[in-house]
Amino acid sequence: MIRTPDSFLLRACIQLVFLLVNIVSVYLLFRGHNLPGGGFIAGLMTGTSCILLGLARGWNVLRHQLPVDPLRLAISGVTLALVTGLLPVVVGQQFLTQYMWHLHHVPLIGELHIGTPLLFDVGVFLLVSGMTVKLITVLVRSTAGLPPFSREEHQLYASVMEEPIEDIEKKHPEKKRKETEDAD
Amino acid sequence: MEAVTFAPTLLVAAIALPALLAPVVLALGRAIGARTGYLALLAPVVSVVLLSIVVAGWEPGTVATASISWVPTLGINLTFILDGISIFYGFIIGGIGVLVCWYALAYFDAEKKNLGWFYACLLLFMSSMLGAVFSNNLLSLFVFWEITGIASFLLIGFTHEDPEARTGARRALLVTVATGLCLMTGFIMLGQLAGTYELTAIISGGGEWMKSAGLLAPVTLLMIMLGAFGKSAQFPFHFWLPGAMAAPTPVSTYLHSATMVKLGVFLTARMFPVFHELPLWLPLASGVGFFTMLLGAWMALRSHDLKAILAYSTVSQLGFLIAYYGLGSAQGVRYDLVHVISHVFYKGSLFMMAGIVDHATGTRDLRRLGGLGAKMPLTAAAALVGVASLAAMPLTTGFISKEIMLATLVEFAGSHRVLGILFLSGVVLSATLTVAFALRLFLHAFRGPMPASVHFHAPSLLLQIPPLLLASLALGFGIVPGQLGALLDNLRVPYLHEPGHHPLHLWHGFNVALLLSAVAIGAGIFLYRHLQRRQWNMPAIPAPLRFDEYFDRGVDGLGKAAKKLTLTLRADWPPAYLPIVIGTLLIIFFSAVLTHLDQLAGMRDLPWDIDPWRCLVGLLVTIGLIAVLRLRRWTAQLIALSVTGFFLTFYFVLYRAPDLAMTQILVESASVVLVLVLVARFSTGSRAGTRFEFRWNKRQILRAILSIGMGVMTTLLVLFADLNRHPDPVGPHMLQASQPLAHGTNAVNTILVDFRAFDTMGEITVLLIAALAGMGLLVRYRRSKRHDGHADAYAPPGFLMGRRKEP
Repeated sequence: MIRTPDSFLLRACIQLVFLLVNIVSVYLLFRGHNLPGGGFIAGLMTGTSCILLGLARGWNVLRHQLPVDPLRLAISGVTLALVTGLLPVVVGQQFLTQYMWHLHHVPLIGELHIGTPLLFDVGVFLLVSGMTVKLITVLVRSTAGLPPFSREEHQLYASVMEEPIEDIEKKHPEKKRKETEDAD
Repeated sequence: MEAVTFAPTLLVAAIALPALLAPVVLALGRAIGARTGYLALLAPVVSVVLLSIVVAGWEPGTVATASISWVPTLGINLTFILDGISIFYGFIIGGIGVLVCWYALAYFDAEKKNLGWFYACLLLFMSSMLGAVFSNNLLSLFVFWEITGIASFLLIGFTHEDPEARTGARRALLVTVATGLCLMTGFIMLGQLAGTYELTAIISGGGEWMKSAGLLAPVTLLMIMLGAFGKSAQFPFHFWLPGAMAAPTPVSTYLHSATMVKLGVFLTARMFPVFHELPLWLPLASGVGFFTMLLGAWMALRSHDLKAILAYSTVSQLGFLIAYYGLGSAQGVRYDLVHVISHVFYKGSLFMMAGIVDHATGTRDLRRLGGLGAKMPLTAAAALVGVASLAAMPLTTGFISKEIMLATLVEFAGSHRVLGILFLSGVVLSATLTVAFALRLFLHAFRGPMPASVHFHAPSLLLQIPPLLLASLALGFGIVPGQLGALLDNLRVPYLHEPGHHPLHLWHGFNVALLLSAVAIGAGIFLYRHLQRRQWNMPAIPAPLRFDEYFDRGVDGLGKAAKKLTLTLRADWPPAYLPIVIGTLLIIFFSAVLTHLDQLAGMRDLPWDIDPWRCLVGLLVTIGLIAVLRLRRWTAQLIALSVTGFFLTFYFVLYRAPDLAMTQILVESASVVLVLVLVARFSTGSRAGTRFEFRWNKRQILRAILSIGMGVMTTLLVLFADLNRHPDPVGPHMLQASQPLAHGTNAVNTILVDFRAFDTMGEITVLLIAALAGMGLLVRYRRSKRHDGHADAYAPPGFLMGRRKEP
């Protein structure tokens, strides 16, 4: 049902672009504290690269290629940011106090400047990239004629007993009446 | 009140312990199955021990407070209060908690899988309940109050495969949360009027604020009492409690008879010293209370389900308890704790009895029960005492409580003739009804022949001990009420209870109260025999009294109204609602401009220098926009639109904001790719589009005016902003502080992840919530293949119109 451009050139190019974009994205993420970049931008880049991949390889393939559910990635991002904020509280500092370390002789890299803001930024990165990929995948899949969610996802986001919103009233017009009769 | 303080560590430990144990119980629940109960039992036992240690250091009759700062900037502190009434409720919560955990141990078979969840909710409830009764701060009281409601919702919905449990849980949650919001309003009003959120400070302030508050004082009272009525299932909110009976019986015993529903009674007691001078106090508390008492008894009489009878009778007794506070004199009330403890004793044992009967026979319908007395004599004995206490027979605590109430009412009738007679007849009437259904409860379940349809299997001894304990307390203290009186005398609270000793006696001598008691019992027996002859055939509850139906209809109506509103506003069709939004915006903006015309003149002094680069970018953006209007194909239009977006990034470059420029480029690319993917789904015919042509009709002119208005507005806004520059802009500070404070040279990033990291935290959380909500909605989107029998039916409606032809 779903159609992807059947071009080897495009597929190969996008595969390469995907790799390059993500290297740049990680670079931007790490340099963000001192030079233009940061978690939000890097997250958007990674998200967009995944869309490209989906376009080239097909959305079904994309789902199998991703090692984790993007939404899980987004949740872990928020959790990471929250934990970064809460750790100082455990030590008795204020929420979101940041710590910095300056390492002088790190093998291969040399001087390294690292701090908890980076962790926070990684959290933002994970959230933005995860959410972009998830929302776009769902939207594109639903417009492309595929069910927006696979069966496992369906069980994850909706309870087993839930039905499509419109169908509830039609199916059970008598449901509510029955329950109140018990008291008599 | 003298300021006595105490060290809160042990008390906090007693309150927090169950909540801390809850995750452990939850985690272990699957692994150790039914034995989770032993672990859960630990929490109330240790809590009671800790409470006892705390109380050992407390001097009877005093009010001690302790404070732990929580959100100091908002004035919200966790202040705890140690006085008679909090200790009283604390021990009820702990003590019944022990019995209920014990009872639940025997009640649940090993087959129930998610017992960890059950006990975790129960422990969470216990913590929040303890927190609520020991809170001295109104706001923390409210927070704990709401957590009890959530725990109750989760516990009623424990058997969520059952639609009845789901409806009951939802109804209970909606009612208690809606009235909880009233309570919050009331608390905030009280806090603002009295100038403090500390209960002790409000009470010892002596009600000075009330004199200047005027009409606000009764409104505050009404709001707070609405919260209490909702929680305690008073009229007109009485209907949620019977619905909550879908919960497992240990929950009904604990939450819906012994503790949580008593929060309303507790709150009434707490508010008594604050509000009892208001003329509204008496009619509100006593009027609603006594009416609910009568209504509940009448409803109980016509129910056949054991738990339904007990639920309605709880509603009735809660009315009794709240009404008692309405009668209090200026000196205070005397015997409120007697009423509460008596109800805890007998209702707890009766609910447990109902659970045992259900367990042993598989039914709770009185019409299908009988002859259980010979099969399980221990339960029958507990039931007999419980029922006797419910019917206020002598030698039980129920009798003592009812006698005191009647005596109070007779005394009250001396000063308020009409109201007194009204209340008295209400109480006697509901006592009559109570005697009738109490008799039926016992005789139909435990006497007579056992119907053949009952498959009896004997309950374990372990299951029968908790109700027996409670029943023996009801009987023991009923025989020697002096002991109970002496015990409760220690728990007197200043301003709430009348000073002096008020001993309890079994025998009050021949007086009006005794006469009325005898009348009620006699009439009750007569009523029982009358209804027995009619085989308890009674017409259904008349429609005007079906408040549960009103409520359901209201909730349904809300959904329908929202749907209708959405359809009317055409939320799916921007051309319909955008003119309204933009028009309103323009009207507000231009009316503001009209009042600040003088500022327009000042714009001449702005530096109107022309930068060639910015002009060039502006020109390019304009060309892109014209292209959007003139192009024919949708795809081409979209690309032209995104071109304007890309050109905008040059502005950010010109203003030296590389981060913004990058973000703009990325957002633009992502949205273009997305939109193109979506548009590619349309049929070639619709993709071809039509050329835009301006016509001189009303709609086009209106749109033109709105568009030009928006343009003018934005320009003027920029100019106004330029005119009113802040003398000390925040930007330079951020730039300066970036390196020394945040150790980063990119100020944009240091703001995002350091200076304003809290904002970022909020934003990413909102994003995540939005995504999850979106998933929830999309997953519930219609998946039927009804549209055209084609798999394309998965798509939203707009995308069905032109399917691409398969090659």
